[in-house]
Amino acid sequence: MKTLIKGLALNYPVKVFATGFVVLTLLSIPLFWFRFICWTSLSVNMPDDAKRVFVRPSGLVPPEFENDPNVVSHSIVSARIHSREKGLLSLGIVDYFIRRFPGEPRSNVYFSNGNCMYFDKKSGQIVHTYTQKQTMPDKTTLRKVVQFYVGPEGVSETRDKTLGRFIDPIIDQGWIEHRWVDGRWEELRELILYDKKLRCFFKIDFNQRTVIKGPKLGKNDRRHKPIQIGLLDRTPFELSYLNWTPPRIEVADRDPNKIGYSSTDLKPIIPTDYDCDAGPYLLILDETGGIDLLDKETLEFVTGTPQFPGVAGRLPAPEAYFGSKSSVTPRELLDYEVWPLALTTYFFENPEEVKVTFGDPSFFFKRAPSRIERKYLGMFAASLSRDGTALALAVFDEKGTVIKTEYSRLPRQEGRYTTYVESSKAAFFGTPWSPALTIGKYLAENLHPPILSVASYFTASAFEAASGHRALFFLPNSFIAMKAEDRGENIVERFLSALWLILPSIILAIWLACRVSKDAVVVGLSENARAYWIIGTLAFGLTAYITYRLTRPKITLVTCPNCGKMRRPDMAKCHRCKSDWLVPELRPPVWRVLGKPY
Amino acid sequence: MFALIKREIQDHIAYFIGAAVFSVVFIIISFSLISRYDHRKPPVFSIGFGVPAATIVIFGICAMGATQMYLDRTRKISALLSTLAVSRNQILLAKIITGILAILILFVPLTIAAGILLRLFTPPVPMFTGMVLEISVVVFLMAFACYCIGLQTGWNSSPVTPSLGALFLTCILIPLILIKGFGVHIAVILVLFIVASLIRTWHTFMKTSL
Repeated sequence: MKTLIKGLALNYPVKVFATGFVVLTLLSIPLFWFRFICWTSLSVNMPDDAKRVFVRPSGLVPPEFENDPNVVSHSIVSARIHSREKGLLSLGIVDYFIRRFPGEPRSNVYFSNGNCMYFDKKSGQIVHTYTQKQTMPDKTTLRKVVQFYVGPEGVSETRDKTLGRFIDPIIDQGWIEHRWVDGRWEELRELILYDKKLRCFFKIDFNQRTVIKGPKLGKNDRRHKPIQIGLLDRTPFELSYLNWTPPRIEVADRDPNKIGYSSTDLKPIIPTDYDCDAGPYLLILDETGGIDLLDKETLEFVTGTPQFPGVAGRLPAPEAYFGSKSSVTPRELLDYEVWPLALTTYFFENPEEVKVTFGDPSFFFKRAPSRIERKYLGMFAASLSRDGTALALAVFDEKGTVIKTEYSRLPRQEGRYTTYVESSKAAFFGTPWSPALTIGKYLAENLHPPILSVASYFTASAFEAASGHRALFFLPNSFIAMKAEDRGENIVERFLSALWLILPSIILAIWLACRVSKDAVVVGLSENARAYWIIGTLAFGLTAYITYRLTRPKITLVTCPNCGKMRRPDMAKCHRCKSDWLVPELRPPVWRVLGKPY
Repeated sequence: MFALIKREIQDHIAYFIGAAVFSVVFIIISFSLISRYDHRKPPVFSIGFGVPAATIVIFGICAMGATQMYLDRTRKISALLSTLAVSRNQILLAKIITGILAILILFVPLTIAAGILLRLFTPPVPMFTGMVLEISVVVFLMAFACYCIGLQTGWNSSPVTPSLGALFLTCILIPLILIKGFGVHIAVILVLFIVASLIRTWHTFMKTSL
């Protein structure tokens, strides 16, 4: 074994591969930074008009509110790219810490704000700790720390095996947002979670201290693979921002002499809660990008009927540089956000007293309603493309039908007409410095090994969008990889176009291979070794050339007496003319000196 | 073998003392960061002191590798030792073990201290589960990779190439942490880089005439 390892380590090809990997790593890092600077500058300098998209009126507000004669500003849904943060957030070190924040995918802690809730992997139970205030008879306040353990079978104040084990739970993120982003703590009511391994939804009622288990999804049910429930938002630090504003009317005490309206002069036509609420349903994002509706009461997916298909919609596909796909998965998007809209009607003891609101702002009411009716109106979904340059915004009605889809585009005035350029193209060529930065990015990509560029073409969709921005060897955001997403051409045409995109890289590889070939002849490498080096240099370009220069035999050459060219002294025959060493025959002279001269 | 390692430690004792000193410095910085953490006041002093100290440490580790190989090459230490009953494999292995020991002296106490401090000063919530271990592993691998760069560049008779080459290549490699963070990806890349570097160093060391 020891001999084998020693033999392998001292093997010339092993040394070449080892050196090659060292060179590839050390070359890829500066190339990454160059691409990173170009790409970040392009994102930041994107024209402002190309960064936003909106739909007005939003299309989901009932006509009696939208077309009310008092409305001075119609409802609007808008999405916007936040490109300034994008550069830093795409770095792995930032991503590493962000993903471990409470509520994020890599964290088992759902929130930690004095009170805390986390999933304890060892016991398989959710631990919830909070401080309870109790007012004593002498009016002093007593603080008591309460701890709950929640399992699939129930809730207990002690860690108990009979509670069962969760394996891979995901919880309704919206529930957490409601509680600790607002900066105040509300009493717990209920929490819905889904366990990916148990394939089952659970509803935890904190008041009753019970856990309701929904029906298990069938093993053959391949359509439902939930990855996020409730609040559907990819990142805590928004790379894109989705906002909805209801129809607004003038405030009563507005200055009558003032011309025009500012946001302080307007108020929503009916009370509005801006927390994302789908009324009687919970939005469930599937790994395919589809969004389903879950009934909060029965914990079952809403069954489709011709009148109500039971599907909320799907994430829209942004217009990429080389055309858009018909559908996208969450993995292919740098960011997404979904905003459901629901109408809530509150009935009070007085039958004439009825209040209608958007969402559920009931905590503003002084009296508790006697009955509440919740109606799901539809949802808005925004998606940010893999490279962060294109945004799509879609509006779905309550049946999951697309009402409208808008894409981020840059308006351009051409004479009397306005044309629109896709934001993914405007980002690369829309501002004064952007062509130079685009060329810089393109050249840096072409210094990458051609074989890895081709591999990036084939593997682009396999990489998660965010991780693609910190890729070193495979480049899912390179131009050639973007070409792989082009659905406008057939497979052969697309591949040939992709090769055309790395033409500088191929030309460089051919030129370097010629140089290696010539040098290999000079240093006397065997035919096989030369062939391997030529193939290697064609595949790995600059990396292979540097590796060759570092590993080529370092032997001082001598002049061949036969051909006059430089030859290796350690070989029996000249590697240029194949002649032997011309060693003069040593013949003794016929004469001899026999004695002293007279 | 132990005699060789002992000799290597004696020859590079300054690096071991430096590692121990910096380990204490980093433990103090960690203590001040964790115990006095206040999100309203950024720990400017700790960061201002910690970043230059970390830079010195990384370059120091790289310099150790370069020094080991440069001194061997210029003072013909291997040539002398080869006349005794030791092989060149053993000589190189002793150098590498010495390097690993220096890095461990620096990071093991720091990792243990960070683990204890986090247990003492953070709430009993698994917020930092695995983070200390992941970060420690990646930092150790990065330090070892920089040491390997030193080993590769140090095998040179000119003093300029080992010093400037090692400095330049270390400056390129360290930002890999910024690109990849502290996850599995960077650990895999660094392990492959270390293996490749050691093979290259071994090949160079074994094939060069004394």
